[in-house]
Amino acid sequence: MQTIQEALRAYIAQNILFSPDGFTYTDNDSFLENGILDSTGVVEMVAFIEDHFKISVEDSEITPQNFDSISNLAAYIRSKLNHKH
Amino acid sequence: MNAADDFLLNAREDAIAFLAEEGQVTYAQFRGMCAHLCAELTARGICPGERVAIVAKNSSFWAAAYLAVLKLGAVAVPISNLYPPEEVQRVLSFAGCKFLFLDKPAQVKYAALCHEQPCFLLEKSLLQVQAAPWPSSVADFDLDSDAALMPTSGTTSRPRLVRVTHRNLQANTDSIIEYLQLTAAERIMVVLPFYYCYGASLLHTHLRVGGTLVISNTFTYPETVLDKMEQTECTGFAGVPSTYQILLRNSTFPRRALPHLKKLQQAGGKLHNALLQELAASRPNARIYVMYGQTEATARLSYLPPELLSHKLGSIGRGIPGVRLKVLDENGSPIQPGETGEIVAWGNNISPGYLNDEEASREKFRKGALYTGDLATVDEDGFIYIVDRKSDFIKSYGHRISSYEVESCLLQIPQVVSAAVVGLPDEQAGEQIAAFVVRKTGAALTEQDVLQHCRAHLARHMLPQTVIFLPALPLNAHGKVLKSELRKMKATA
Repeated sequence: MQTIQEALRAYIAQNILFSPDGFTYTDNDSFLENGILDSTGVVEMVAFIEDHFKISVEDSEITPQNFDSISNLAAYIRSKLNHKH
Repeated sequence: MNAADDFLLNAREDAIAFLAEEGQVTYAQFRGMCAHLCAELTARGICPGERVAIVAKNSSFWAAAYLAVLKLGAVAVPISNLYPPEEVQRVLSFAGCKFLFLDKPAQVKYAALCHEQPCFLLEKSLLQVQAAPWPSSVADFDLDSDAALMPTSGTTSRPRLVRVTHRNLQANTDSIIEYLQLTAAERIMVVLPFYYCYGASLLHTHLRVGGTLVISNTFTYPETVLDKMEQTECTGFAGVPSTYQILLRNSTFPRRALPHLKKLQQAGGKLHNALLQELAASRPNARIYVMYGQTEATARLSYLPPELLSHKLGSIGRGIPGVRLKVLDENGSPIQPGETGEIVAWGNNISPGYLNDEEASREKFRKGALYTGDLATVDEDGFIYIVDRKSDFIKSYGHRISSYEVESCLLQIPQVVSAAVVGLPDEQAGEQIAAFVVRKTGAALTEQDVLQHCRAHLARHMLPQTVIFLPALPLNAHGKVLKSELRKMKATA
């Protein structure tokens, strides 16, 4: 089964970076510093995460701590999923 | 007076000019950095009239480089740090730039350019420089000499640079300060880039009153910006429509107290009425200024006094102090209330024209007046309401349809975050109306729901034929919707 990290990398590569080479950054690279996400990109990410992982993202949770790298995002999603169960 | 001298006229040396990534910068430090960079430019052989580019994110260093160029009588060319290298190169060659200021990230991104062009790296060590003496003022300084060449957000194939003179800068800065009633107590959160005329106007006005600019270089995480506004007790905020859309519908802004926030500026396109009303409701203690302008007018042309926001909802107000605005029909006569014409402007803030583009200059600037290309109507009290951009009007079955009106209607739907309407070629209609809609995350809004809402609120000829849901609208670097991209998107779909 696809891991959370794999799903995020694939989504960003296909829908945000439009990259034929996949996600070429490391899981700890900052989206902001590398110009991967802008404000509309974040809104797209939120929609994807809510839909794909069936969780609800509060506006107040859209912070760099939760969102600004694959690792941060995966940790955030995992904690939301744990809360749900 | 040189605009750089004018901007620093009211600075109290120990007051804070900037709160930015590089820390807290006082006016004394800032003036020191400007003088140092001015001496640096002279040492590198830059003469008055020569063009110097700045490619960097917002910082006190950006502002110091800009003021140094102005003070020397050279011409600043601010360029977007979001441009790809070839685009920056095009602007540099088009403007004939002799020198380039850039910051670390830009140095990495534009490494190739740095080999070809003399350049200077804006970095933290500037804060420690021994300040050179402030250069003395030139007695017969020519106020009508170029101070800056500002890029416009046009999508034409070659760069378009607006000449802005020292007189233009000072006239517009004084008017804006007057109607916004800015004082040294202002502390504004700046999320707009300084290379954009709206961002530059925030820099000019707040320096001129000796206020503080709090700089946030990204709006990607609005919560971070809001936290910073709380911590630094910001009194002001300025945004374009997309900024306010995100704040109102995708952030905790409406629920935050922000007790110090007293002035909100909105310009850079129409914020639709439904969102303006939401903004007013969420900030009962703030004064909300709806404003209108163009790069060709330095920045600002009109504003709506905040106390009239609900009474004149949707209006861009009237001319700012020192600016005369008229709405003229095709024969050049003022229109009557209810009719539509083009907004034409006079004032000391109107640019002398575009750089190296006589044809476009002749069309836009005629006999000292600026023909804005914005179509508008007026009410009995002389308040102006923009109907559309000349080029965004949709012509369908012989009707002329304002895309703004259809967008306003779409934005009344609470589950809609943003919307843009364009005309697409249609054999029968001439143009058919296509609506591009961004839904709130998780909203189960269908095309039928949207059309049903439109049928209830719009005349038949204004109903969209197609509704396309997008995750986000394509925006340019200034946050404006790229309607040309939407037309292309539909054509290739």
